Amino acid sequence: MLSRIADSLFWMSRYMARAEDTARLLDVTYHMLLEQSQDSYQLRWDRIITITGEQELFYKFYDEATPHNVFEFLAFREDNGNSVVSCLNRVRENARTMRDRISREMWENINTLYHSVKAFDPKVEIHNGPHRFCTHIVFASHGFYGVTDGTLPRNEGWHFLEAGRALERAETTARIVDVEYHKLLQSSVQVAQPDNHQWMAVLKSVAAYEIYRREYHSRIDPQKVAELLILHPRHPRSIRFNVALLQTALRSISGASPHTYASEAERLTGKLHDTLVYDRIEDIFARGLHFFLTDLQKTCRGIGENIARKYFYYAGVA
Amino acid sequence: MAMAQQAREELFRDYNIGSFYDEMFSARSTARGHYSRVYDELAALGSGQFQQRRELADSAFLLQGITFTVYSDGRGTERLFPFDLVPRILPFSEWSKIEAGLTQRVLALNFFLRDIYGPQQILKDRKIPRSLVYSCRHFRREAMGLEVPRGIYTHVAGIDLVRDSRTGEFLVLEDNVRTPSGVSYVLENRLVMTRTFPGAFQRHGVLPVHHYPDELCQILRSLSMRSTDPVIVVLTPGNFNSAYFEHSFLAQQMGVELVEGRDLVVNDDVVYMKTINGLTRVDVIYRRIDDEFLDPLAFRGDSVLGVPGLMGAYRAGNVALANAIGNGVADDKAVYAYVPDMIRYYLDQEPLLRNVDTYICSRPDDLAYVVDHLHELVVKAVGESGGYGMLMGPMSTKSMIDDFRTRLLLDPRNYIAQPLVPLSVCPSYDAASGRMAGRHVDLRPYCLFTGDKVTIVPGGLTRVALQPGSMVVNSSQGGGSKDTWVLRGED
Repeated sequence: MLSRIADSLFWMSRYMARAEDTARLLDVTYHMLLEQSQDSYQLRWDRIITITGEQELFYKFYDEATPHNVFEFLAFREDNGNSVVSCLNRVRENARTMRDRISREMWENINTLYHSVKAFDPKVEIHNGPHRFCTHIVFASHGFYGVTDGTLPRNEGWHFLEAGRALERAETTARIVDVEYHKLLQSSVQVAQPDNHQWMAVLKSVAAYEIYRREYHSRIDPQKVAELLILHPRHPRSIRFNVALLQTALRSISGASPHTYASEAERLTGKLHDTLVYDRIEDIFARGLHFFLTDLQKTCRGIGENIARKYFYYAGVA
Repeated sequence: MAMAQQAREELFRDYNIGSFYDEMFSARSTARGHYSRVYDELAALGSGQFQQRRELADSAFLLQGITFTVYSDGRGTERLFPFDLVPRILPFSEWSKIEAGLTQRVLALNFFLRDIYGPQQILKDRKIPRSLVYSCRHFRREAMGLEVPRGIYTHVAGIDLVRDSRTGEFLVLEDNVRTPSGVSYVLENRLVMTRTFPGAFQRHGVLPVHHYPDELCQILRSLSMRSTDPVIVVLTPGNFNSAYFEHSFLAQQMGVELVEGRDLVVNDDVVYMKTINGLTRVDVIYRRIDDEFLDPLAFRGDSVLGVPGLMGAYRAGNVALANAIGNGVADDKAVYAYVPDMIRYYLDQEPLLRNVDTYICSRPDDLAYVVDHLHELVVKAVGESGGYGMLMGPMSTKSMIDDFRTRLLLDPRNYIAQPLVPLSVCPSYDAASGRMAGRHVDLRPYCLFTGDKVTIVPGGLTRVALQPGSMVVNSSQGGGSKDTWVLRGED
């Protein structure tokens, strides 16, 4: 497989996951806030911008984080490279440069999505609220991964797609947990009694509310929320689950046998996976959650860079 | 019956045959034999039903992303290459004549290229002026004396034909033997037509076209000196190129890798592609990049599309290129005037397809005539394609003509002139009136040369000038296309 194609597949998958994650965050936050007091309003919208890591850019365009501004910024603005629309443009651009390598169904799916998103009128959507738009994006993302699952041969290309999505989800979940904890602990006087609504929104934003209820049978407890989102072995949005997926994908690409590694990316992934398997949430809290998550995000970036170095850039004669 | 009659009046109402040769009608409302069934079928459709089929076809093209991008509005708007649902139909006997004429022409062009980059016998025998060949912009000294695999230069040729309304005869307007494009539209148009009018193909014996990628792949495979299972790639300038869809389409259809220049690297005169497992040797390149951008070390140093060292690998015989380097000398529009002589010289045959009369402006007599008759001539730059750098005298204002005359006199070698050929028309849907109207068409068949024989997929691309009265069929100038049917028989 051409290095450039592997690169495009990896990033196409990441951008699609990013578009979905952003749409989820927007939708859940908006609806939670319909039931909220004016107080926390501002804080909460500002926090979404923090999660996406785009505060600097946002405050260059806007004075304050109103629902209108945040929705416009995260959903539609093409000068925000991580907005939903920008991500989907890049998904399509990537797909276009390798349309001979993806299935015809995948291409038609991406192309249909692209045209359907262009058909949304930002003014109308911003006026009506984000639900319709966000639901469309979330479904479309499911559709994309579904078509891919049903039509793409399980060769290296498939594993690069898997790796891209897993890495993106692991990083996003880490950022959500980190920012939410930080801000909620800062703003709440009584740490022991955090705002249930807000934790419920966090869970819903990563499709984890139902699983939380089933697994823990308890009221919303921030430490348990963190446990679910970081360490759960089977929830498809948890960090551990995605790091495991990433490890499998990287091994399938390199052919390395279990308990060995063929690249720096695999070594970092394996080491991180061990931590997530053997550390308990108490251990993590004892060392400091923020510290742990910052470190984890740094590792994720390192894994991404090493995948690129190993597979995407040409370095010397084989 | 009354319904059908009403509908018939609807689509073809006010249809005006005019003074041009009409592909469908020989006289008002009398469809030619090979068109009679299609005419009946179309006439039975109301305007509304036709419009529905049209939308179906358009959405098929849009969903598959068969579009080209217009950057004029700064946002990069995607436009469909307009597709007209009324097919261009040729009966078998007429196609056979065209096919024989094209075969002759492609063979002669290939002989010519072998000769020019080899012994140059045709120049020694003074059949073509040496100065004309050496002054071609696309003549490549770098290709002199090169042994190309199996002696093939023109692996793919797109020959533009037009039907002269005055005689009904097909004439050759241009040869394209560098990197002719458009064949993907032949295949996609057919696919969309079979989906839009599924019944029509059962009732008509239409010759299939879908073997093209297979035939092309066979030729490419035969070019490798090293392996019977060679690594073949399609080399594209990238996804911003207007023919990018075609490049990826052909790669996909042939099951080979689509690469950009940055995916390839040359070491010790061997071409490799960069893969996730290291370097993989490449044997054959179907390149869709022009000569001057292929290798910054050999040609234009500012090219970022090419592969440094590619020319060295080609010279060393370690990689095959299709089409060959330097083919532009054969489709230079001044050299074009000599193709009939080439056919006589190399094949000892009379040309079956005639050229359009051509004035070569580097000849003083021709130049004098052209300068005085610009208002009735079409003047073209010899090395251009795609409708660029030309003057349509009869449709131009006096100041445009004066302006062009100045340019012509500064560099006469760069121009040729031809009388305006009144192109035939074919009924096409006119969206403004919701009716059929005659629009000018040309025909570009795609010819594949295997080294032993010439294979031509029946028909080719019919381009249509959708603007009323326009004779410019290029997509960059508002042209569209039609599915082209060659029938198994005469009707």
